[in-house]
Amino acid sequence: MDITRQRSFLHDEAQFARALARASAGAIIFALPLLMTMEMWELGFYMDRFRLALFILVTLPVLFGLSYFAGFEETFCWQDDLIDALSAFAVGFLMSAALLTVFAIVRLDQPLPEIIGKIALQSVPASIGAMLARKQLGQQDDADRERRIRSSYPGELFLMGAGALFVGFNVAPTEEMILISYKMSPWHAVALAVLSLGLLHIFVYTVGFAGQESAGDDGFLSVFLRFSVAGYGIALLISLYLLWTFERIAGLSMMELVTATVVLGFPSALGAATARLIV
Amino acid sequence: MADIRQNDIESRSAPRDEDGSASVSRLAWVSSGLGLLLFLGSVGVLGYEGVTRGSGPPVITAVVEAVVPAGPRWLAHIQVTNDGGKTGAKVQVEGQLMAGDEALETATAEFDYVPAGSEQKGGLFFDRDPRAHTLRLRVLGYVEP
Repeated sequence: MDITRQRSFLHDEAQFARALARASAGAIIFALPLLMTMEMWELGFYMDRFRLALFILVTLPVLFGLSYFAGFEETFCWQDDLIDALSAFAVGFLMSAALLTVFAIVRLDQPLPEIIGKIALQSVPASIGAMLARKQLGQQDDADRERRIRSSYPGELFLMGAGALFVGFNVAPTEEMILISYKMSPWHAVALAVLSLGLLHIFVYTVGFAGQESAGDDGFLSVFLRFSVAGYGIALLISLYLLWTFERIAGLSMMELVTATVVLGFPSALGAATARLIV
Repeated sequence: MADIRQNDIESRSAPRDEDGSASVSRLAWVSSGLGLLLFLGSVGVLGYEGVTRGSGPPVITAVVEAVVPAGPRWLAHIQVTNDGGKTGAKVQVEGQLMAGDEALETATAEFDYVPAGSEQKGGLFFDRDPRAHTLRLRVLGYVEP
């Protein structure tokens, strides 16, 4: 294992410093829309503390998985992935802290839990952004890695989940999610669900996973069920989790709850479908 | 973590080649250690806050901090404090200058949010000098965020 570990960037000080700088850029670029969203600052101090703590806890395995599939640097064993995941969290946290301080959202005269809450919530998208920086800002994956990811079905499902979480999170905190669902009739909701599933399938089929080998081997129904339906299911579950985390579903009737989940499920499904592009 | 350390010590004694050092670089240790610290720290603070902060309603009080002239009028600096368990949104505060039982003047201010356990500042404008009368402050209401 030592031989492969030597190849990793994180064993070279200068290389790792460059990777960290790239991660910082990714954290800022990917988290910027949320850093400048009012609801995010407010959620940081009033949302349920346990739900926020759970959300932070969930972030680490996601970062770990992203590092395994596409980190800000090449990794060759799980210890490297853990180091990268923790480094990405550090970068995301510090970047969020710095920008929120410059924006005067975080001030030193505020109570500590309020400051920590605001920064911790922002550090979730920022650390994911830090982790994605390599794919977006750095060099491309080599062919071996691509093959490793493509060959694993759980890996595909994880990436779809991560894509759904990232894109869904970008809109989930806003009031508009609930507002849109209030305006929609049940028929609008059905139409949106069909549209989400259809777009998800088209994206998966054309730009996603089945682009090369799978398209030839598997029939339409197999790809549709294994990737599109499964992916939409994941997107809906993640949407529901995000709505619950941000306390958007308290007091909603079952119909409103389903509609709100479908509304957020739309961006989440697109995130799941394009996960291979982003991640 | 112990596993990594073990690995690190082992690889340190391993021969090095031109590809770079065999051990994980110091910078990687620093950044991942910092990440672990921030991760555990924020989860810890949030968890502690969740345990200790009650789940009761907002308990919001308002006090006058100072009265200063503001142009031709008077400004009363006020501070609202929430000692309850939940955050209050759209918190309305009303100040009345009283002469006996009669209100001479009324001014209101609305705070977007008064988070649980925190203080927010604001001000009320009056035509008369509040120091010459009794200033009665009342927190009128809030909505759940």
